[in-house]
Amino acid sequence: MTTLQMDAPPARSATSQLIRTEVLLRLRDPLTLTFAFAFPILTMLIIGGSFGTEPDPVFEGQNPAHWYVASYLTVMIGATGLVTMPVHLASYRERGVLRRFAVAGFPRWSFALAQLAVGLATVVLAGALLLAVAAPVYGIPTVQDPVRVGLGLAAGAVAFVSLGVLLGTVLRSARAAQAVGLILFFPSFLLGVGGPPPEVMGSALRALSQFLPLAVVTDAVRQPWLGIGDGTGPLIATVAMAAVALVVAARRTAL
Amino acid sequence: MCPGAPPTSIVRMADDDVVTVRGLRKAYGGRVVVDDLDLDVGAGEVVGLIGANGAGKTTTVECLQGLRQPDAGSVRVLGLDPLRDATALRPLVGVQLQDSALPERLRVGEAVELFARRRGPRGAELLERFGLGARRRSAFAGLSGGERQRLFLVLALLNDPRLVILDELTQGLDPAARREVWSAVAQLRDGGTTVLLVTHELAEAEVLCGRVVAMRAGRVLDAGTPAELVARHADSATVRFSYAGDVRGLPALPGVREVTRDGATVTVRGQRQAIAHVGAWLVGRGDPVPADLRVDIPDLEQALLALLDGAQPQPATHLIGAAS
Repeated sequence: MTTLQMDAPPARSATSQLIRTEVLLRLRDPLTLTFAFAFPILTMLIIGGSFGTEPDPVFEGQNPAHWYVASYLTVMIGATGLVTMPVHLASYRERGVLRRFAVAGFPRWSFALAQLAVGLATVVLAGALLLAVAAPVYGIPTVQDPVRVGLGLAAGAVAFVSLGVLLGTVLRSARAAQAVGLILFFPSFLLGVGGPPPEVMGSALRALSQFLPLAVVTDAVRQPWLGIGDGTGPLIATVAMAAVALVVAARRTAL
Repeated sequence: MCPGAPPTSIVRMADDDVVTVRGLRKAYGGRVVVDDLDLDVGAGEVVGLIGANGAGKTTTVECLQGLRQPDAGSVRVLGLDPLRDATALRPLVGVQLQDSALPERLRVGEAVELFARRRGPRGAELLERFGLGARRRSAFAGLSGGERQRLFLVLALLNDPRLVILDELTQGLDPAARREVWSAVAQLRDGGTTVLLVTHELAEAEVLCGRVVAMRAGRVLDAGTPAELVARHADSATVRFSYAGDVRGLPALPGVREVTRDGATVTVRGQRQAIAHVGAWLVGRGDPVPADLRVDIPDLEQALLALLDGAQPQPATHLIGAAS
């Protein structure tokens, strides 16, 4: 008889085991993360090179390439929270994986917490990769206020990853999650983050873009990064969104 | 893997009654799936919940597992409310679900490790016992249907549960794998584990269950030991033979309910005692006993199928007579 290697400690927590398993599964199937990793980098390379590198009033007097580098970390946050996570979770729900975990006695919040942790790790890794690609091509703009930038990124990631967990546990199929996720993501991406700068938009679109949640997170990061404002208002709004989304996702127990 | 053992007081109060359901009702969008259902499973029993697809079996066990909220009625498992006390109850119940899956790239050994609350050789033993020892590095997506079912059985038994719920356990298994799984459930029964077996395979229920509960349209049709159900629903027999002579005397024999003729073939239906009386009648006629004389006695499966499906006897080809 062969013997299984059972090296986990007896008092291990449900969440840590789920995190370990999810990391393992994603490493085995890295293509599932393509959208969160590749899409922001590719679009940053294209858009960032489209407007030159000379400071431009349309970009609040900034180098357009740097404007986009400072913006695209939030594209990654949006891609992870609005598309990758809901599709992943909804496919688990659709196939009965969540039921399997639920009847096995995993605390219902543990699965959401594990997904939150893995989602945040994905954002950190994808962000590092995006900056590594941007550095030799456009250069990385100097971070004027690292504390506020860090806070904005952290709160934004928590807000959108929590939203992703919420969507994934509400939507009943992976196909529905993909449709809803893309509908939520692309307008936010084009109007609020990675598309044309607000100065060149019509007044209606410009007004709309200011209220898109992903645009708010982008302002909370970009303004203190480039020194074009302290971003206090967007930062407060982002922290509030993170708190609300986190609480709602945590209360969503019907896996 | 779930942290925290249930309080010992909870375990003590659950010693006798493992499952107690009273007046359970569940509807989906106005369609009543389970209707005023009562169900009891005592400690150490192996109870079969049988019925055709759509009978309400799976919804019933989903309510027992706390996966569905009943519209009415009370459900207690090991003395606990499956919804309110889910955290305490779930480590005590091993479940094999009819429709569920694992992440496709999760390997067999990893699944066992993930779902085990304690480390130890139990997982490896079960994998060997169910023929999955050599598959522990295989991904879930690469397993056959039978292998998946066996893995789910391993996961259900992994933590030595006090109640095991098996929903359509042998669906998709080949005969050899089915016998292997039956043997495992028999071992559980002999070891005193309480098992609720949901199945539409009556042979499976007959082999494994000490008591059978038959459901149709969300209600209990009948319940009892297999022997009791045979006595209630299989006390019948059919005698067929070729006979050219006059058979008008047959309907008057004790136990005969109906006599029909189709050409030269005579069919006599009735209670089992009719077999002897028809034989005596044939011998008493002085003619040679028909060479094609055949007696059919329904087994439990046929009896329960008739009960579950509401099947009626085949219409008579040409009715000679019927007992009043």
